[in-house]
Amino acid sequence: MARLTFERVSFWYPATERPALREVSLAVAPGEVVALVGKVGAGASTLLLVAADLAPRVVGGKIEGTVDFQGGGRGKGGRGIVLPSPWTQLSGMAFKVWDEVAFGPANLGWPRERIVRAVDRSLAALDIGALAARDPGTLSGGELQRVVIAGIVAMEPALVLLDEPTAELDLEGTTLVWRLVRGLAGDGCSVVMATSDPDALPEVADRVVWMEHGAVRRIGAPALLADESLCEAGLATTVADVWRMARLGAPYPLTVAQAERRWRQ
Amino acid sequence: MSRRHPFTLLALAAALTALAWILPAPAGGLGTAAAALALAAAAGPRRVLLPALATAAPFWLFLLLLHDVPSTIAIGLRLTTMIASVVWVGALLPPGRLVEAMVAAGWGVTAAYLFAAALSAVPLLKARAQRIVDAQRCRGLSPRGGLGRRLRALRALALPLVLSVLHEVDERALALETRGFVPGARRTPLAPPQDPTAERAGRWLLLVACAGALAWRIAWHG
Repeated sequence: MARLTFERVSFWYPATERPALREVSLAVAPGEVVALVGKVGAGASTLLLVAADLAPRVVGGKIEGTVDFQGGGRGKGGRGIVLPSPWTQLSGMAFKVWDEVAFGPANLGWPRERIVRAVDRSLAALDIGALAARDPGTLSGGELQRVVIAGIVAMEPALVLLDEPTAELDLEGTTLVWRLVRGLAGDGCSVVMATSDPDALPEVADRVVWMEHGAVRRIGAPALLADESLCEAGLATTVADVWRMARLGAPYPLTVAQAERRWRQ
Repeated sequence: MSRRHPFTLLALAAALTALAWILPAPAGGLGTAAAALALAAAAGPRRVLLPALATAAPFWLFLLLLHDVPSTIAIGLRLTTMIASVVWVGALLPPGRLVEAMVAAGWGVTAAYLFAAALSAVPLLKARAQRIVDAQRCRGLSPRGGLGRRLRALRALALPLVLSVLHEVDERALALETRGFVPGARRTPLAPPQDPTAERAGRWLLLVACAGALAWRIAWHG
């Protein structure tokens, strides 16, 4: 059974006539990592808000179609979303990083021992244990992004939704987040993420969803990121793009390793 | 003193302020002001006492302009008690401890959030305003100079600050919702401050003292 199912879902923001999502159908299995790619305004962030049950419930607007979420499996088995700007996601109630990460689990009313375990595990997973006593207001953008992700992971959700999770991160932080995503999937947690970093997806995502003007244009394996149409749209991996620009012939390799193999043949 | 339960610190500050207004002037105000200033001095002459005196000074000046000397002394001492108490409790009480105490005492998360968010918003807004000023300076706008230039600089600061805060309110609401912060949630206190029986009794004593002073004032002084 799918953990998250969209059936012909359309969504309109308040006071707009054009839908931000148009008849989107998608099913995400437990433990699956699905990456949403598309240009600005493609609808990926809106899809995440709808999947998080924030739109239209909190955001407002109008929805058509069916969204079904089957929780359970890990902890409370809820769903958690990480929005793109980390500084707007601080709780405002915590004056230490540890307390900030514990904010979500504490709101779930867990016993303190369970909160301590979940927070310490989450801090370690994002390699920010050394920041535990710092004031969140004094952190850099990258550190803050890790704290915010840790705050969601500590709630042990069954579905994690990430909107540009590596936008504020350096290479080390990015690698860590992608490793975390695969780790979450390994534990049975489903992950849906909007990203403009296609180069990481062949190793991180199980499936790629190409969105355009609020609709799903194509769904497929990460190999889709070396497709001619995605290259034309500027959404392919760098390797595929370079191979194509060099007119080395299709099918384009997806990764450096694939390019090397093709080159040696 | 900073290790005391947050409610005890708040109760002490509130009781001093209440007594300053209840007890007859100027003796009552003198006593409470002396107590409040002594607490401020003990907490840190430069960190607490000086800011309290600096905040109270303009009030004394305005009172002198508006009233005669006895009235100025009477109201000034009461205001000084109030200001010194607030500055003292603000310096001594970390917002996080107050929130923990409120949650442990069974307050709703919304009420605790209102306190904590208000206390944490000030340094965040100051930092953001500084960033905006720096950005405007890079683009040639100077906040120094005559009144006209300063007003222009203020407008260039206020607009982006207000707009960014409004934008942040929307996103923060989403972030809080996704992290289980919903009305009626029973939040687990993470590090509830100790509340010994002696302190609880002390708080009741302060309340009784205030009530007694009020009754005495009404009965004997009218």
